[in-house]
Amino acid sequence: MNNEALPTGEHGSRREDAAPARWVRTPPIDIFETDEGLMLRADLPGVTVEGLDLQVQDNRLTLLGRVTPPAPEDARLIHQEYHVGDFMRSFILSDDVDHDRISAKLINGVLEVLLPRSPRAEPRRISVKVQ
Amino acid sequence: MKSVDMVFEGLRLGRPFPALNVFATDREYLITAELPGCEPETLDVQVANGELTLRGERSLHANIPEERFRRSERPSGPWERTISLPERIDEQNIRAEFTNGLLKLYLPKLPVAAARQIRVLDLNQSSVAASVADQNPQNQLSNVPSTPPSST
Repeated sequence: MNNEALPTGEHGSRREDAAPARWVRTPPIDIFETDEGLMLRADLPGVTVEGLDLQVQDNRLTLLGRVTPPAPEDARLIHQEYHVGDFMRSFILSDDVDHDRISAKLINGVLEVLLPRSPRAEPRRISVKVQ
Repeated sequence: MKSVDMVFEGLRLGRPFPALNVFATDREYLITAELPGCEPETLDVQVANGELTLRGERSLHANIPEERFRRSERPSGPWERTISLPERIDEQNIRAEFTNGLLKLYLPKLPVAAARQIRVLDLNQSSVAASVADQNPQNQLSNVPSTPPSST
């Protein structure tokens, strides 16, 4: 049994409320263990707190970061090395993540999500009766 | 386990970092770069001799042992990039903003100088040209067949 919070490979899946013409990108992530649980970091440059939508439904964590166009309306794009677009990625949470205590921060375009380990996931001793 | 594939992806594909987009309006150019995890205090933007140099460092995994990583896709480490600026940039008034990991550089265009009329002199009719010709009798005589002075 895999206890990791793993990306599901469903990044970029369609959302009903997303405009069809928008470019959707899969942000790079780091996941590492801390003493409290797992820490997830995702690069979301250009995303504000207002533009960030972080949802947990059932055992799925989905992040959607909306990016507003950086240039004024009358600006012409004269040289392009990257595509501007929203960020989306989803993850399956393992059973030992305490959903109610998930917290998140956004610092300099990096999202940090703390996925605390649930107390009930502590090892439980089962006594075996000897007949 | 740490995957280094993503870290070196840019290098492998020969893509310069950071990737830049350039916009233009009538008044200025706008250069944008996505730099998540960079801190504004450590961003170094320099302009000299028509070149713009950007330097910085992406977030390091400070104090996190490698064996704790389940996934490591985010690139990190120092970077530097230099680009040539377009002509007629007001280098004194370049502005830089860094918000939510997005760098915006505004480069105002210098106003187009008004056309200056330059008077063209007609040297054939100028007195200077005439006087030079007068003082140079050889030129005047060169096309004339030489006639021996009359002895009579």
